[in-house]
Amino acid sequence: MSLQAVIEDVLFPQVDLSLRAGRHIDQDDFAAYAFLSEGQAALETFYRRYGWDLIRSTEGFFYLRPTSTKLRRRRLGIAEMLVGQSLAYLFLDPATLEAAGVVSRTQVFEILVNLVGEERLKLALFPRRRRRDQRTEDVQVRQEFDRALRTLQSLGFIDFVDEQVRLRQPLMRFVEVVKGLSDPRESLARLVAHGEAELVDEPDDEEDVEA
Amino acid sequence: MREVDLNRTLASLQSRNVTLDVNTGDLCFLVALRQLGDRSASPSFDEEALFDIYEQVCDLIEPGAQNPRKRAAHALQRLRDQRLLGRIDGNGVISSGEYAMTRLASAIVDFFIEDDALSRESLSILTKALLWQLGDVKACAQRREWDQVVLRLRVAVGDLVAGIERRQQGLDAQQHDVRARIAALLREDWFAAVDACEALLEETAVTLGELHDMLLQDATLLHALLHEIERLAMTDDGYEAQEAALRAMEHVDRVCAWGGSRQAAWSDYYQYVQRYLRTVVRLDPQRAVSQRLQEHVSSYVASPYALVFAQADPTLVLRDPDRRPVRAPVSRPRAPREAAPDLVDAASQVPLSETVASAVDDADRLSQVLERLLPDVPAPRRYLYAGRITGEVARIRRVSRGPWNGVLDLQVEDWELRAK
Repeated sequence: MSLQAVIEDVLFPQVDLSLRAGRHIDQDDFAAYAFLSEGQAALETFYRRYGWDLIRSTEGFFYLRPTSTKLRRRRLGIAEMLVGQSLAYLFLDPATLEAAGVVSRTQVFEILVNLVGEERLKLALFPRRRRRDQRTEDVQVRQEFDRALRTLQSLGFIDFVDEQVRLRQPLMRFVEVVKGLSDPRESLARLVAHGEAELVDEPDDEEDVEA
Repeated sequence: MREVDLNRTLASLQSRNVTLDVNTGDLCFLVALRQLGDRSASPSFDEEALFDIYEQVCDLIEPGAQNPRKRAAHALQRLRDQRLLGRIDGNGVISSGEYAMTRLASAIVDFFIEDDALSRESLSILTKALLWQLGDVKACAQRREWDQVVLRLRVAVGDLVAGIERRQQGLDAQQHDVRARIAALLREDWFAAVDACEALLEETAVTLGELHDMLLQDATLLHALLHEIERLAMTDDGYEAQEAALRAMEHVDRVCAWGGSRQAAWSDYYQYVQRYLRTVVRLDPQRAVSQRLQEHVSSYVASPYALVFAQADPTLVLRDPDRRPVRAPVSRPRAPREAAPDLVDAASQVPLSETVASAVDDADRLSQVLERLLPDVPAPRRYLYAGRITGEVARIRRVSRGPWNGVLDLQVEDWELRAK
């Protein structure tokens, strides 16, 4: 498919906007996925000029990876990373197959607390807090959890089905670090070198990196 | 089904302490009674036969059980107390009796033994029977035997469609089991279970596909027959028959819609599992990734990192200009709020009561009084004065209701006036 044909396609505007907004497009968005598959070669060249790589993961989803600072890029916050990894853990569990990957928010929260630990979770989410009030923190942890879910949903990692969460293929991005046989630290270093991830030195409130 | 008074029914059940407790042994015994009764074409059994059957069932489901005779006696009493077995002879307590299953027991047994899954064969039998029945109904419709048409549509066709729907429930339960089996196989055997899971998926997909195709094909024929019956009923004012035909069509539509929705749901599940097998199971035959992820998450907080993605500023997408017609604001002519008071000569003013009294002297309707007095009143005040005049009229005359008539720019109820 030529670049002209790709841009003239009726799907291009919506797919382009979604990718630029950070959305991961998998086979559940069948039309968009098929469009990207057909126009992949042309679109790779197109987006490279903006300083993005159009990545097609082996697990079957597309996303844009920033390679320069020409345009704005963003990284996930601590809450989003923790919730994302908990969702990926559920995604790998065969028990979730029965409901075709639909889990409740409570399940996700319980997994998160079990994996991280309640106290460490609070410390991770509110590292600068000096005076701690249990009740307030519990409420704020839930609020951060809900906010993280909404962010992950906007990026295409999950869907909301009524009050439940449907797990999607792009969650495999959270598994990249532990997927191979090598040491996770080496895998992480490789991901950072490729621009897939960044190390977090200081817990900061603003995760956006301006161009 | 006749109407029941819910409150009275519930109160009656509660006061009689009605309970139903059917254990597996009792249920197996009832199923055995049904099968043997059907085989021998005799629905009743004497006591000795009941004991024998119970002992045989006991041997089958619980070999080595102690005191089967005693258990049989307790079971029979229990079933009698719960009105699942009824005595059908009238010989009293002197001699042993004849027993048969009650309607309640039959319904319970029907549910359990007829709730088998929908298969190509069973669907084919049921739809063929339904087509045959409808052919018969159509012949009745052509002979204008509307009572027969209504009865057959409601009873026979209803039963057959209910039979299909019951089997649909069985297939739904079967699909649920398949999903649970796939999850269990992967949990236990992981990579070794891939082939078995794929085989289960394919088998169910093929079954559903065949059923859906058959339903669509037969539904066309069923609809054609029902439409013809409805048309014949319409031409002869057979309203009940028409209604019965429409209801039957709704049942058929519901059956077809079930097929479509199940296939769509299974298709989503099928794709999800296939992707899972491809991207999770095949790439991680040792099932090590889950364990590594679990360890990694618990240590994440100590050395955090973040995934990076694009987040360009959203492109401005201007909406099309909205050409809305400009509506003129609702308004009325402005009148000065503050008006200078009228200067009147108090001495020349006649009280309203006197003015009204002279006007009603030769009037027998309220409109006549108002037509005489209101023209002298400025238009913005007529409504106010009409009220005052009417009040005065009501004081000095006996009034009765009348029609609404127009008086100048007002609408008034034109009372009939009589002397008090």
